[in-house]
Amino acid sequence: MEHFFQQLTNGLAVGGIYALIALGYTMVYGVMKLINFAHGDLFTYGAYLGMTLLTSFFLQDRLGMVAGLVILAVMVMGLVALIGAVLERAVYRPLRESPRLSAVVSALGASIFLQNALMLLYGARVHVYPEDLLPQATVNVLGLEVPLMRIVVVLASVVMMAVLYLFVQKTKIGTAIRAAAIDQGAARLMGIDVNRVILLVFLIGPALGGAAGLLVGLYYGQVSFTMGWLYGMKAFTAAILGGIGNIPGAMVGGLLLGVIEALGAAYLSLAWKDALSFLVLIFILIVRPTGLLGERVADKV
Amino acid sequence: MKRAMGLALALCLLSFGSARAADTIKIGLLAPMTGSWASEGQEMKKNVELLASELNAKGGLLGKQVEVIIGDDGGDPRTASLAAQRLSTQGVVAVIGTYGSAVTEATQNIFDEASIIQVANGSTSVRLTEKGLKYFFRTCPRDDEQGRVAAATLEAMKAAKVALLHDNSAYSKGLADEIRGILKAKKINVVFFDALTPKEQDYSTILTQLKAAGPDVVFFTGYYPEAGLLLKQKKRMGWNVPFLGGDAINNPDLVKIAGKDAAEGFQFLSPPVPKDLDTPEAKAYLASYTKKYNETPGSIYGVLAGDGFRVVAKAIAETKSTDADKLREYLTTRLKDFPGLTGKISFNAKGDRLGELYRVYKVEKTGDFALRK
Repeated sequence: MEHFFQQLTNGLAVGGIYALIALGYTMVYGVMKLINFAHGDLFTYGAYLGMTLLTSFFLQDRLGMVAGLVILAVMVMGLVALIGAVLERAVYRPLRESPRLSAVVSALGASIFLQNALMLLYGARVHVYPEDLLPQATVNVLGLEVPLMRIVVVLASVVMMAVLYLFVQKTKIGTAIRAAAIDQGAARLMGIDVNRVILLVFLIGPALGGAAGLLVGLYYGQVSFTMGWLYGMKAFTAAILGGIGNIPGAMVGGLLLGVIEALGAAYLSLAWKDALSFLVLIFILIVRPTGLLGERVADKV
Repeated sequence: MKRAMGLALALCLLSFGSARAADTIKIGLLAPMTGSWASEGQEMKKNVELLASELNAKGGLLGKQVEVIIGDDGGDPRTASLAAQRLSTQGVVAVIGTYGSAVTEATQNIFDEASIIQVANGSTSVRLTEKGLKYFFRTCPRDDEQGRVAAATLEAMKAAKVALLHDNSAYSKGLADEIRGILKAKKINVVFFDALTPKEQDYSTILTQLKAAGPDVVFFTGYYPEAGLLLKQKKRMGWNVPFLGGDAINNPDLVKIAGKDAAEGFQFLSPPVPKDLDTPEAKAYLASYTKKYNETPGSIYGVLAGDGFRVVAKAIAETKSTDADKLREYLTTRLKDFPGLTGKISFNAKGDRLGELYRVYKVEKTGDFALRK
């Protein structure tokens, strides 16, 4: 039984990160009906920017750990949001009236460009965060030793999701986003500046992806320019699993995918872990084509 | 008239082209310049270009300058076969490379049919030389030799229960299979045999499974980025089991990823790096590499690519020819104990390097790799 719970926490920790990246996919899809394949690379940029800022300004030495990390997170999220906005202007806006396939191809192109640009800037070697920035403490949860940082990772993604959900549901701008998600033409007639809404979505989504990258970099310590692909793939699956376009769905999908992977690896087969999670995805899509929480169309972002 | 002029122009261009081609001796380097092994590929490029420029400074080969032509295989068999086809139309005499076994396999027949000597530098899979291809050589040892050394090391550690972890790549799975076979013959219990997914960051699921199997030693046959993360996360779990690794782990970045604490005591098998060899060739090479690039060679495979370049250059100089059959004949029968950067080099008729090459390395408290005597 202890083994089961150990694997469950392993799965939740990874799932929390999937969820955080999936939020960005789901937001962009909700409004644009576009799978932003470059999102995984924005995640990688978050991880690299975090490393660069950390090693160039010695933030934690000057400000102490907590304040340093908060400032770091804000800077990374801001910069990645900026890259997202540039991406929207340069890559997606010119193709907004084109067939959807053009936009998808454009997204793939942007992904390849971003990845190779990173390789040319930083070189192809794997890079490493400064050693032991975070407390290595473990917390005893019901007899299980759980690293403190794993709890922080899951909490951070839950908090970000909650804030995002409230923002979209309760604010005026959130209402505009939802309106644009339902019908861009009608929203424009109602006086909503759809261009600005889309730009906003391309600021929030990438910022969340960048935050996820930073968390992964801080916790695991190792970053490589190709890391976004696998995470992007998993987060994309998580978004579909939960119902793409749906914010709580991305969260549920991410956590569920992490748990399925961990338990599948523990009780069925390690090598088939990824195949199993994709099998679950296929099964759910057959039974519930909209994903787990995909039915409430009005809640779509 | 127009056609005749066009023809004349084409002939002119053609003769000009071939005249230019005759000016240099072209040696190809097929390496993963992009993709997930790009760091290894760039090391290979550094090594081969350094050796080529040194050779050219001494007058080149057969009175001509040597030109290195780089083909990027992207670490992917499909890209590699295209790159190999391109190289074989560019008039190369020989090709150095490439790294991954599956990638090399995709290029072998292309070079063989074009009668081009290929000297692979990282492809350790047994079957590559068992096919009986005429022009294929490699400067790295084979998985079965590494398997024997691995089993002997495990025996010396008095391991009764061994866990084998691979990453499903042709190299890693092949090596794990070799070790499993030898351990079975020696009646050592393999309690765990499975694969992880490379490029993930979180291996706690796998480590939890490994721990539950209760091994005395874990042998991981994959690459250094995953090995580093495994060591780091194993330490975080508070699990103290000795880890052993294969030759794809010989990269100083391992210690950076794992952290010195977590990496200490980790052992791996590898051909010796130049700094551990006492030969004048190794010393001179180390000096010129450090002078040019301001760092020591990062990976053993770059050095093995350098060795590939050196044996090809030697064969061309000795036979005074660039004919593939003559070069092959020289390499398999006349090249004996050539002083390589990684030790003495001779090839058998299959194209495999002769002699016991593997050593056991251990990570010191300082994070350095020390050759275990």
